[in-house]
Amino acid sequence: MLTAILLALWAYLCIYDILGPVFFLGFRPLIAGFGAGIIVGDIQTGMMIGGTLELMALGVYTYGGATIPDFTVGAILGTYFGKTGGFEVGISLAIPAALLLTQVDVLQRFLNFVFVHRADAFAEAGDEKGFMRMMWWTSHLIWGLSRAIPVFLAVAFGDQAVQAVSNFFDKNPWFNKGISVTGGILPALGFAMLLKILPVSTFPAFLLLGFVLYAYLKVPLVGIAIAGVAIALVYQQLKYRGQEA
Amino acid sequence: METTASTKLTRSDLMRAFWRYLFLNQLGWNYERMQSVGYCAAILPILRKTRPDPEDFKEAFITNLNFFNTNPVVGYPLILGAHAALEESGASLETTEGLKVGLMGPLAGVGDTIVWALYNSIIMSIGSVMALQGNVMGPILVILLVFFPYLGVRYWQFFWAYRQGSNLIGQLGGGMIERITELATLVGLVVIGGFAPSIVKVTTPLEWSRDVTVRGELTTQTVNIQQQLDAILPYMLPLLVTWLAYWLLKRGWSPIRTILVLTAIGFIGGALGILG
Repeated sequence: MLTAILLALWAYLCIYDILGPVFFLGFRPLIAGFGAGIIVGDIQTGMMIGGTLELMALGVYTYGGATIPDFTVGAILGTYFGKTGGFEVGISLAIPAALLLTQVDVLQRFLNFVFVHRADAFAEAGDEKGFMRMMWWTSHLIWGLSRAIPVFLAVAFGDQAVQAVSNFFDKNPWFNKGISVTGGILPALGFAMLLKILPVSTFPAFLLLGFVLYAYLKVPLVGIAIAGVAIALVYQQLKYRGQEA
Repeated sequence: METTASTKLTRSDLMRAFWRYLFLNQLGWNYERMQSVGYCAAILPILRKTRPDPEDFKEAFITNLNFFNTNPVVGYPLILGAHAALEESGASLETTEGLKVGLMGPLAGVGDTIVWALYNSIIMSIGSVMALQGNVMGPILVILLVFFPYLGVRYWQFFWAYRQGSNLIGQLGGGMIERITELATLVGLVVIGGFAPSIVKVTTPLEWSRDVTVRGELTTQTVNIQQQLDAILPYMLPLLVTWLAYWLLKRGWSPIRTILVLTAIGFIGGALGILG
């Protein structure tokens, strides 16, 4: 029960972070899973689940309020279930949880209209104090609880389900194999989302360069990032030569 | 209509707005007016100072609850800082609303691309790969690379925009935004070109056997399909899967439908032993 409460609080904190301070990017699955791993006392599982989901969701953000799967809650629940059931069980519960909670997110984003209407009333009355009381104390409640309550319920009452899933996996190794191959393929989504918002057809050479650096020259990831900065700077220096910076 | 003589803002007025921005900027986010209440909370300390008349203050309070949405890290503090400067110089509500509406769209595009899509993707893929190797420094490094740069860039933007004041639009219009976005885009393309094959993992364990007669002796030759594919193009399968997802998204598929397709391919391929 204590774990359920702590994980629910962690989910609340993770979602508050992106609504305000963005101190640790808690809503990203890598961080949400890492924190959940610390809470349940299994950092390795937290990093495995969080890292896998993070790569899956690399370019996936709520651009302009778009709807995306809730990988934050997915990572937290996946870590908790993965601790008892193992990585495959954790990840195979995390993904459906993330997809299901998409609908909860849509609903809560809608419900938040209450704050705007109360704010209008405070503004009509010129009541800054009342408005600020609402902002500090209640304006995060719907967002936070929409994550905390599902996490709490799933952790408090989900153990039997995990046991069943885990037994099923033991009896059906082919299922396990399917899940682990899926885990390797899903990061393609994150990259595809990034490519979609980038001008691929205008600058195909840069994409090819990165591929050659990794696939043929075996440059590590940080090296590829640095090479990317270098080549982009060279491109801009040549392009803007003679113009004022 | 035009407010009276300008009121000098103090550093503590500005800091109060900055702190409220930092802790409240997207709170109460909703489909109707998105970040409006958070923005209003942040600008109120400025409005209270520049608009001592209660009716005047009330009107500005109501107006600043209008629709607002931009990137919360790059963009939002810039608009807030410039808005504070305009208030200080006694600008009308039409002017300040014009500033907000005029900048929030373009800055959302730039901010989302630079902060979310590029910077985060780079630090997150490095951090995740480290985490998957069991290295605790992965997530810790990410937290450090979020906390300090984010806070720094937000603080700097707010005060820079405040000092620029009404010159801000001229400054931003000088091609600077385009150049920064282009730079980040190019880095992003190189990074994705290298990261996609390193992170998307899919191979095939399939083998092909045939009996051949070599110098009169019958032997079985086994051809490993993965080795053949690698010889043609390394990481061919990860590239194909990534391209498929990209193509589906380009055709207007939602991320969720695309996930389902990828899951079906991975699951069926893995369960049947075609993919490994």
